[in-house]
Amino acid sequence: MLIIIPAYNEQEALGGLLGEIRSLSHEGTKLEAVVVDDGSVDRTTEIARAGGARVLRLCGNLGIGGAVQAGLRLACREGFDYAVQIDGDGQHPPAELSRLLEAAGRDDHPDLVVGTRYHDEKTFRSTVLRRLGSWWLRVILRVVGVRVTDPTSGFRLYGARALKLFDETYPYDFPEPESLAVARAAGLRIAEVPVKMRERQGGSSSIFGFSAFYYMFKVTLAIILTYGRARLRGSR
Amino acid sequence: MQADEMWLKEGTWIFAGVCLVIALVLLRLLFRERISLQGSMSYLTFLLVLGSMAMFPQTTTRIAQWLGFTLLSNFFFCTAIALLAILHLRALVMLSKVHLRSIALTQELAILNEKIDRLEAASAPPESRAA
Repeated sequence: MLIIIPAYNEQEALGGLLGEIRSLSHEGTKLEAVVVDDGSVDRTTEIARAGGARVLRLCGNLGIGGAVQAGLRLACREGFDYAVQIDGDGQHPPAELSRLLEAAGRDDHPDLVVGTRYHDEKTFRSTVLRRLGSWWLRVILRVVGVRVTDPTSGFRLYGARALKLFDETYPYDFPEPESLAVARAAGLRIAEVPVKMRERQGGSSSIFGFSAFYYMFKVTLAIILTYGRARLRGSR
Repeated sequence: MQADEMWLKEGTWIFAGVCLVIALVLLRLLFRERISLQGSMSYLTFLLVLGSMAMFPQTTTRIAQWLGFTLLSNFFFCTAIALLAILHLRALVMLSKVHLRSIALTQELAILNEKIDRLEAASAPPESRAA
């Protein structure tokens, strides 16, 4: 299994995160971590190498979508069975990986497993704006047939079919909710499991102020377009 | 009204002059290889259409009247805006393609670099690996 860590100027949180990953042990599953350095200007690459991770150093800042897709491409090319996406800011505890793996091994064999933070109110409190945005995205995604409680979660496990799909196409700006619509349109099975999430250990969110409204508008439009495209292909 | 009278009275010489200046700038950029001929063909066509309209005002007036324009200048502006919108759309399509290609190339480059780094590390003599 390949653990993909997209990182942009995450020198504060990355060392600790890689240490936690190294201490993980999963019987029968070989874990390999790759840090996708999205054009950082700090010591992200050096810290990733020192932490024993493979490093994909992008020569420019592609944004979260481009960084994640680079990791997914690597996983697909090298024939990994699974890839897990973990944010480089330390929000996603690697110890929770086992929950995603358990879900992937269920009888219904989901192609994409999303870790949701909203099943555990005690350990994770998000802002009102974030909850409102999540609610709206849930509504929009439900229209296209995706039922998840945490559409913006970046803590995900990708199976072989999902890796193949996202090697070919992956949304670039704010990709999490849109990629769910893409996966659904391609007929992938999506599952959700509750996970614990932490406050970010370093760095700052890229979505604030006006960009939050731009985010909502853009993602809504993208989901509708994805749904429309899938319907059109279906009718043909 | 004769064509040369219309040139002055309707001011079509302004459009012809503007087209000529832009065409000269475009040709200079082409000569210096700042832009490609393939990419500039639509722009040159746009200038040719607008320039021809200015060069033959009588024909242009007939077409404008047939389309319901009372002022020739309005027709010029409408045509120029429509052609510029088409040019912009074409540029947008090209830019989007280039953007997607540059993302894919950046990712491929990073994957290849990582592979080279690993191969170099694997083929390095044990002493340098330890160092």
